[in-house]
Amino acid sequence: MILSGLFFRAIQMCTPLLLGSLGEVLVERTGVMNMAIEGIFLLGAWAGFTGAYLSGSLLIGFVCAMLTGVLTGALYGWITVYLKQHQIVTGVALNILAAGLGIYLYRVLFGVPLLPLTVESLKPFAVPVLSDLPFIGPVLFRQNVLTYIAFLAMPAGWWLLFRTRTGLILRSTGANPEAVDAAGINVERVQFGAVLVSSALNGLAGAFYSIGYLGLFSNDMIGGRGWIAFALCFLGNWNPLGALLGALIFGIADAAAITLQTSGFSLVPNEFLIALPYILTIVATVLRTQFNVPASLGTPYIKESK
Amino acid sequence: MEFSVPSALALRGITKAFPGVLANSDVTLSVGEGEVRALLGENGAGKSTLVKILYGLYQPDSGSIEVDGRTVSIRSPRDAMTLGIGMIHQHFTLVPVHTVWENIVLGLAPADGRPLSRDAAAAEIDALGKKYGLEVDPFARIDQLSVGMQQKVEILKALYRRARILVLDEPTAVLTPGEAENLFSFLREFRSSGNTVLFITHKLAEVFAVADSVTVLRGGRNAGDFGVRDASESDLVTCMVGRELVLTKGKPAGSTGNVVLDVRALSILGDRGNRVVDTLSLSVREGEILGIAGVSGNGQEELADVLCGLRIPESGEILLDGRPVRPGIPEAAFHAGTGYIPADRHREGLVLDMTVEENLILKNLSAYSRFGFLRMKKIRENAERLIKQFGIKTPSPAAKVKGLSGGNQQKIVAAREIEAGSRLLVAVQPTRGLDLGAADHVHRTLLDERDRGKAVFLVSTELSEVLKLSDRIAVIFRGRILGEFKRSEATVEKIGMLLAGGMGDAA
Amino acid sequence: MSAPGTKKTASGTIRTLVGERDNSLWTALFPLWSVLLGLAAGGLLMLLLDHNPLKIYGDLVSYAFRDIYNIADIFAKATPLILTGLAFAFAFRASLFNIGAQGQFYLGAVAAAACALAFPQLPSIVLLPLCALAAAVAGSLWGGFAGFCKARFNANEFLVSMMSTYVAVAVLDFLVRGPLREAKGEYPQTDVLAESAWIPSVIPGTRFHWGFFLALAVALIAWIILWKTTLGFRIRAVGRNRRAARFAGMNEQRIFLAVFLISGAFAGLAGFMEVNGVQRMVVQGFNPLLGSEGIGIAILGNAHPVGVVLSALLFGALKVGGILVTQTSTIPSSIIAILEGFVMLFVVLSYWLQHRIAAARARRRASEGGDSR
Repeated sequence: MILSGLFFRAIQMCTPLLLGSLGEVLVERTGVMNMAIEGIFLLGAWAGFTGAYLSGSLLIGFVCAMLTGVLTGALYGWITVYLKQHQIVTGVALNILAAGLGIYLYRVLFGVPLLPLTVESLKPFAVPVLSDLPFIGPVLFRQNVLTYIAFLAMPAGWWLLFRTRTGLILRSTGANPEAVDAAGINVERVQFGAVLVSSALNGLAGAFYSIGYLGLFSNDMIGGRGWIAFALCFLGNWNPLGALLGALIFGIADAAAITLQTSGFSLVPNEFLIALPYILTIVATVLRTQFNVPASLGTPYIKESK
Repeated sequence: MEFSVPSALALRGITKAFPGVLANSDVTLSVGEGEVRALLGENGAGKSTLVKILYGLYQPDSGSIEVDGRTVSIRSPRDAMTLGIGMIHQHFTLVPVHTVWENIVLGLAPADGRPLSRDAAAAEIDALGKKYGLEVDPFARIDQLSVGMQQKVEILKALYRRARILVLDEPTAVLTPGEAENLFSFLREFRSSGNTVLFITHKLAEVFAVADSVTVLRGGRNAGDFGVRDASESDLVTCMVGRELVLTKGKPAGSTGNVVLDVRALSILGDRGNRVVDTLSLSVREGEILGIAGVSGNGQEELADVLCGLRIPESGEILLDGRPVRPGIPEAAFHAGTGYIPADRHREGLVLDMTVEENLILKNLSAYSRFGFLRMKKIRENAERLIKQFGIKTPSPAAKVKGLSGGNQQKIVAAREIEAGSRLLVAVQPTRGLDLGAADHVHRTLLDERDRGKAVFLVSTELSEVLKLSDRIAVIFRGRILGEFKRSEATVEKIGMLLAGGMGDAA
Repeated sequence: MSAPGTKKTASGTIRTLVGERDNSLWTALFPLWSVLLGLAAGGLLMLLLDHNPLKIYGDLVSYAFRDIYNIADIFAKATPLILTGLAFAFAFRASLFNIGAQGQFYLGAVAAAACALAFPQLPSIVLLPLCALAAAVAGSLWGGFAGFCKARFNANEFLVSMMSTYVAVAVLDFLVRGPLREAKGEYPQTDVLAESAWIPSVIPGTRFHWGFFLALAVALIAWIILWKTTLGFRIRAVGRNRRAARFAGMNEQRIFLAVFLISGAFAGLAGFMEVNGVQRMVVQGFNPLLGSEGIGIAILGNAHPVGVVLSALLFGALKVGGILVTQTSTIPSSIIAILEGFVMLFVVLSYWLQHRIAAARARRRASEGGDSR
């Protein structure tokens, strides 16, 4: 029972990591790092909550989250792809801005409520027949819709990248933008588009924390999860299926931490459990050294250089 | 001058400026159907810019382009392709980690996310390859192909898009003489079926080998059009350089002294773990230039790296003046008296964002510091001395290197390395990217240093450079020395045979 | 062609941040413009809460410079910011990203506090240097870990330093809730430090303490290291062209480690300043934005020690005035982060503009002069 609860939660906690890392894989394959990921997670969480609370519809909440992601991504993409400015610096600026904006706009709209405002979060959806399977049923097939979507998105993303013309263009852009340019494709447009798509996915991922799971918004609810999704992208070797594997491991660590904290287990301090996903990221980053890095990653594509 | 054939392609009054450089100024030329036109000029004459404009990679500041007599607007390579223009870039635009067929179909419509038809593409590539003698395995990965094969892929890419006008930017720079001859016969074949070729080069011999006519570019301007039959080599050189340039003639060494560099049974592993140099032995004496001739990628770069301590060899020994040099330690090579003029000075020899005086001490910090602090006065004195001695043109020793011209940047590297290389100078492609005047200066410097009694180890893929400077020439192929010649015995034919791996009867 | 798949130098990407600058008066004013535009953008958000931004900014300035106490507070606030700003700027000169100054700051703070709590009987003259040393060493080791991972395993230092901050937060939480918790056991914080561990004030009755001058000295040291020593020479060479530095025989691994050790020490010292100079104890989750503000300051100051000091003073004034404004109006305190974010964005945009201006000028020169090379 405890075990199935743990795995259920692990699968659930994977959801935003999957969406975020898939977006990051797609955009990094074009040579651009979406360094605004943490900020977009947070703004997505805010927008999702705000949309859902004001409209009473979770769907509208998720749409708002994605639109906010796209908007923020457009700003990031404009500065990094078109103006060729430094990706890490721009990302840091946007993340600081987002950290202030989330709580500020919450205040603007809702003032300072005595109790945190809540919405009813996504309900689980039991898949007919499959959800009745022993153990596997409750773990895998009584999740919410967004979780199913996230898990299906990973193989879909893999197919897009490795089996379609669009994917070929994406991969080529990161590996050698000159080749794409010479083939008559606008490199900047490809990169900008990828930034927008990844930002939409990040927004959705952020909304999972606010309305997919807890049903409320708080400014510290992301707490570096965006960066973990970012890390999963390269721990998974820029492959959606690799990121899926990584996300599962992190989901289990996250779920184990929460389960242990609530079970009154006191052999290790709670703080250690909270730090566990971050420690895991460091360990994985250190151990995973041989990469298949997109060759132009992080380097702005400057055409008229001489 | 006008040609009687109808013009398939015409450029009218093309002007293009870059920050700090006017690359093209009012360039006009027209090429007829079934014609191979050479575009001849020095490095920096604006050839590459012109063809990039033609291909839609750059937009001209003014001027127009005509294809088949109609004025066209080429905003992107896609427009160029639609007009039937195909381009073979000097630096290939291939994705190294992808396969041949993936590179060839990249970007072809429909880009709607439908699955790629791998087998159909492969079949068409095979057919095209057979037709034009450009056979390549469609499923091979680009980074596992030789440079010559990669060029075939580039050409196939253009043919797959039904190009009628083929533009080639310095296509032979990376080829063996044999491969170049194959390329020329392809071009003749391609032309004879009514297509047009624009062929960019700075080598006179190629103009006479393959072109029908030639346009000379100098300083970004059209300096003259010639029919190949009417032009002499000296006409073209004068037109290209704009003045009578007296080039330094190579001269044989006086007397050679003791062995300085002695390489014994050296084996080196490349970046991919394959053996790129295989039990190679050679030696260079005082007052001697040993030229390593070879097509790029045959282990010569790695060999130079090892000599300078930048790479650890798999096995073997390096002796300098009879003493073994500890491998893999740049300081060890440096203190033993090795100077290194790298091929890619921007990436390997200079820190462009640092100043002239800082770059001049890049390798020898310990001599210009005390207790970890830099000795500013001494650094300045060193810079002033070298600036004077080597004629480096810079506003001040504290100016950033990136503001200087290519020739002056090369002089900074040369100044530093010649100071360092009291016994041995390792020069790898020392004139790549330099115009004739600056290249000639480098040649003179190398000869002078030899005459001062240094040993010079020269690696170049330009056979003419090797032949001009070397006292002895060794041909490297797949990490082995296939043959060694005294300068008096060396001919292009003998060396050309070995460059391609053929076992000539020369010893 | 170049070898397939070779990476371009990273130097191209940082061109805009510490690259060549045009020396005209116009561009010298660019950081100022960025600040003004950032404030203007933040002002738009104030309108959403029905506040007149001009009045808010007027209040902010008048609060910040209202009396000697507040003016002194600007220097107190700027002190740790100088150090976290230097931490980022120093690593940035080597093209390395120390995003983890916050964590190094926390470790420094804990070390300084632990030191002061362990030896309360020592005289100030011994205890203060001891605390400073402890803080610097703790920050240095915590930062050095990221440098070590980069040097030894080629691990992404951005991620490692970023993640190590979250771990540092957990470490701090654990300590103030456990071993270092106050004797009363009421709040997650330490006991107040003995008076001998307090950094003396410059102006009595204010928070302006002598640590500010230590921070200035550290900025000077950073400048000396970068431009007057062989270590700094190597750091800049590795930062601008890693490949050329390697070809010149420099050991980049050693540089990575050294840079992070030094950078971490700067951030760790900020912990000493805050604990011994201002807070006189460690409280759970205090000064949570010091690290990211340091990044903003470093960028605004063009990663130069002098620029960092000036930017830190500006941010200090912004904080002093900003906190008072948010206390006396309904503007939430998160406006400060928003302003900082906007200022950073406009700084980034100004680099683009500067580059454009320089390029346009060069182009004009080229077509006028007609000189092709």
